[in-house]
Amino acid sequence: MIGYIIRRLLMMIVTLFAIITLTFFLMHAVPGGPFTSEKQVLPEIQAALDAKYHLNDPIWLQYFNYLKGIAVLDLGPSFKYPGLTVNEMIVEGLPVTMKTGVLALLCVVALGVPLGIVAALFRNKWPDTLVMVFATIGVAIPSYVVATVTLYIFALRLGWVPTFGLDDWRGFILPVLALSGFWLAFIARLSRSSLLETLNEDYMTTAKAKGLHPMQVLFKHGLRNSLIPIVTVLGPVVANLLTGSFVIEQIFALPGIGRHFVLSITNRDYTTIMGITIFYAAFLMVMIFIVDMIYLALDPRIKLGKASS
Amino acid sequence: MTITAAHTSEPILSVKNLSTSFFSDRGEVKAVRGVSFDVYPGEILGIVGESGSGKSITCMSVLRLLKANGRVLDGSAVFEGKDLTTLPSRQMRALRGNDISMIFQDPMTSLNPTLTVGEQIIETIRAHRQVSRADAAKRAIELFDLVKIPSPSKRLKSYPHEFSGGMRQRVMIAMALSCDPKLLVADEPTTALDVTIQRQVLQLLKELQSRLGMAVILITHDLGVIAEVTDRILVMYGGMVMETGRVADLFESPRHPYTQGLLKSIPDLSSGEHQRLSPIPGSPPDMLHPPAGCPFAPRCTHAMGICTEAVPQLYCAGDTPVLRAGQAARCWLHHADAPEVPEVNAREHEGAA
Amino acid sequence: MTDTIPSEVASKAPAAPPSVSQIPADKWLKVGPDAGDAEYIAAPSLTYWQDARRRLSRNIPAMLSLAFIVLLLVAAIIGPWFSRYSYFEQDLALSNIPPFFETYEVETGTGETARFFLNSGNFKVYGVGPGGEVEGLLRATKKDLINKQHRYEFGETAVLMDFKSLPARMLDAETGEVIGTSGWSWNATNWFGTDQLGRDLLVRQLYGARISLTVAFVASLVNFFIGVFYGGISGYFGGAVDSVMMRIVEIIATIPLTLYVILMMVVLQNGLLSVVVAIGTVYWVDMARIVRGQILSLKQADYVAAAQTMGASTRRILTRHLLPNTMGPILVTLTMLIPSAIFIESFMSFIGLGVTPPLASWGTLTSEAVETLRAYPYQLFFPAAAISLTMFAFNFLGDGLRDALDPRLRK
Ligand SMILES: Nc1ncnc2c1ncn2[C@@H]1O[C@H](COP(=O)(O)OP(=O)(O)OP(=O)(O)O)[C@@H](O)[C@H]1O
Ligand code: SF4
Ligand SMILES: [Mg+2]
Repeated sequence: MIGYIIRRLLMMIVTLFAIITLTFFLMHAVPGGPFTSEKQVLPEIQAALDAKYHLNDPIWLQYFNYLKGIAVLDLGPSFKYPGLTVNEMIVEGLPVTMKTGVLALLCVVALGVPLGIVAALFRNKWPDTLVMVFATIGVAIPSYVVATVTLYIFALRLGWVPTFGLDDWRGFILPVLALSGFWLAFIARLSRSSLLETLNEDYMTTAKAKGLHPMQVLFKHGLRNSLIPIVTVLGPVVANLLTGSFVIEQIFALPGIGRHFVLSITNRDYTTIMGITIFYAAFLMVMIFIVDMIYLALDPRIKLGKASS
Repeated sequence: MTITAAHTSEPILSVKNLSTSFFSDRGEVKAVRGVSFDVYPGEILGIVGESGSGKSITCMSVLRLLKANGRVLDGSAVFEGKDLTTLPSRQMRALRGNDISMIFQDPMTSLNPTLTVGEQIIETIRAHRQVSRADAAKRAIELFDLVKIPSPSKRLKSYPHEFSGGMRQRVMIAMALSCDPKLLVADEPTTALDVTIQRQVLQLLKELQSRLGMAVILITHDLGVIAEVTDRILVMYGGMVMETGRVADLFESPRHPYTQGLLKSIPDLSSGEHQRLSPIPGSPPDMLHPPAGCPFAPRCTHAMGICTEAVPQLYCAGDTPVLRAGQAARCWLHHADAPEVPEVNAREHEGAA
Repeated sequence: MTDTIPSEVASKAPAAPPSVSQIPADKWLKVGPDAGDAEYIAAPSLTYWQDARRRLSRNIPAMLSLAFIVLLLVAAIIGPWFSRYSYFEQDLALSNIPPFFETYEVETGTGETARFFLNSGNFKVYGVGPGGEVEGLLRATKKDLINKQHRYEFGETAVLMDFKSLPARMLDAETGEVIGTSGWSWNATNWFGTDQLGRDLLVRQLYGARISLTVAFVASLVNFFIGVFYGGISGYFGGAVDSVMMRIVEIIATIPLTLYVILMMVVLQNGLLSVVVAIGTVYWVDMARIVRGQILSLKQADYVAAAQTMGASTRRILTRHLLPNTMGPILVTLTMLIPSAIFIESFMSFIGLGVTPPLASWGTLTSEAVETLRAYPYQLFFPAAAISLTMFAFNFLGDGLRDALDPRLRK
């Protein structure tokens, strides 16, 4: 058990390291990027970069300096805004991104799983058809389409919700809807197929044959087991909710990290692109780690299997 | 021809004309077609037959444990005066795991992998008895002792994957026995285990059966098991009962070509070695499109014109002298007009009882 | 006389036997085994692919989706040839024309009728031909900016376009009364209308389809080859090679792919090739895993061992034995890759990281439409509908294929 956790942690660090390295050298390959000589930036930024990364040093030293910065959670100065650091941008945008992200995740889990269960229990009857129709719509329509179309209908035409900002709770509705739509549908479909598969398991017949109440059979024996595959995808779901937020924050003009990110892409603010990428990656690694720990708690087979190997 | 009654008591379970079908996207699978049999208190009834002959589905129909696409179309299954096919589901639930319990073929998949085995037994006990968790746990330990699982109180907290196959099947047996059932249905309880473990588990079952005095339906592929532990046999093929009778009678004087085929595949019974059925040439019928006549006709060396057209009735001891008391066979050769085929209907065998 | 098993006697067979007297003597003749065979082997057993095709062709949503995809492909390939327009030709005089409009009709005094429509988004007036052709921007003879009225003359008749209050209206210049519209008309010149630079949206839409489908197919193929190659090698060699290769896959699988594609695009700079490269190199992980898994399980299969002992070469075993058997899962994964690729391309284009203007993709068309969403919401309709329908189609087709090919669902 402990061995497994340590292995997972090590794995996480290796992955993160791979991402940082990849990002650094990719940025180094950009003509006009922060680590090249032919860049055109403001003198004060040049000075800040020099001070931080000693740009006249050989590339591997710069890389080492960059790693050193990350080790103390310092992502360095912005490439386009004098005096602004990537850390400051992240700290500024994080609350907004977290608020919408957590709400969307809640939507995904609290609605997606029950919808999938209902669909599975009423297999091939109308509630199933209804859920599956909505789930297919949700999976098929890209989030930015959902965002723009709902923005037009509900904000511009009907005026039910504000077109931008999160000043009151109604401002959250459309961004959260657009952000969670795909994953809500995805989780509903996954829950359905997972529960259907579980309902077919031999141990479900055993539970019924023991004379347990149908509710006990369903919740105690069925649900727990069918939740396992759902938990395993939650890590990637969180990842995608976050990366999905770039577009959503841009469309609804929400001042979150995603908007900073998209702006930095348009501005070719390379250090910010780099910093935010690494921040996202690290955040995701942590989320995936947490999800793995939940998985561990849900499925007793993991403990022994991994600890003994 | 006076027959002494083998069973003076009433049957504990009486199944009559049971028919079950599955409705799949390819059509209706007629898994069970008019099966009837009785089980008496304290006896072990064996059900044999090739894979797909409807053995499991017969029992699952009785316990109403069919998958969603399966339906009992006809027939009744009376247990202690109550017809299980029409019993309200609440009463059915009170019966399952309590008066009638079941052991499944594959101990690897029949236990819930995410709950401790203790929990799985305790919940069974508490579903039927008003006892505290602690008392239920105590009972579970007794049961583990009964099925000879070492250090029971410790093993209670283990998960199924921490047990070997044989131990898991013991857990399944303990679970099935937890509420002192009157009828235990064991569906190939040993097929998934290796030979030595099979023996141990069977011995245990037999021992517990005689100690606790319950009735057992034992489904098996293994004629060795049948010979050793059962009292009567039901031979199934193509969703129907082909032959039935007391074990000794069926082994000594089988009166159905299918049963004979099964027995012929065993070289030497007296060696005591457990033999798997070696298949009769040909393959079992596709239950989506069962043959119009005798289901065995396509593989039967004695098949006649009539056999491909109509299903024969189940001929009983009274109908033809070659059948012994309690023996019955579904074969046209027992019809009065049928031509003589020595090994099936030769008259000189008469009166053997 | 007590019968121990009376119940069986009463049992009713599904086909009731004829009574004794009815059985003719010839029915008692021995026919031997296999006689009854012909009667019940009604359903000939189908091969895996025949069965899969039968299942798929019965799946109505999947077949409709397939038809849609074929249509879209044909339209994307040959559609632009039939158009008078190109995706980059601008005509600022005819910018932001809607696909349909409400027309007005006035008498010119010479017995003729002039038809025109008012574009309420930009307060411009365009002449309309009898078939709905947009004949061009009409010049106002007088612009009164204080009263917010423009005067247009059609022969002897003059009308005023009044935009003091919104929406703008047409007034009779003499009486000052509001002129009613004469009905709706489809835009016969630009079926889907034009964008803010006056480019034909239909043709841009078709080019968008070309881009999306090209990216989707090329990227999926690249992923397919990388995945099959990687997974094939890993599974075939097994052992240490396999564990190192799979550890790498494990690491790649945890990297958020959207981020990676964005980084690649930043490095490679915008452009069609960059999109294909960026997307083409990320999604092979699933494919590699599936191929490896299949190959590992097939390696145990008897017929492969048999082929090996008979001296078949490694390449022959891979291509003749292993790949045909892994085709099912690979095909399903491939179909599911396509919508992902389409989505990610349009997503990238939407945030400004895709194809370079004036090239159009569904993503750039959508983001261009968002810029003019307030005034010309209909411009959003076509790209949004196109991408959504295409995603639907590939999803349904993928689901259908999986149902048709998944051996677990087969009996
Ligand atoms: N859920 C189902 N849907 C469709 N057909 C089914 C289903 N379950 C069982 N069958 C069919 O019913 C028939 C009888 O199955 P059953 O499980 O009773 O056979 P069995 O005699 O127990 O065989 P085995 O020795 O393999 O356990 C088989 O032809 C099987 O294919
Ligand atoms: S009825 Fe005919 S086919 Fe069937 S077992 Fe008897 S002889 Fe053979
Ligand atoms: Mg069975």
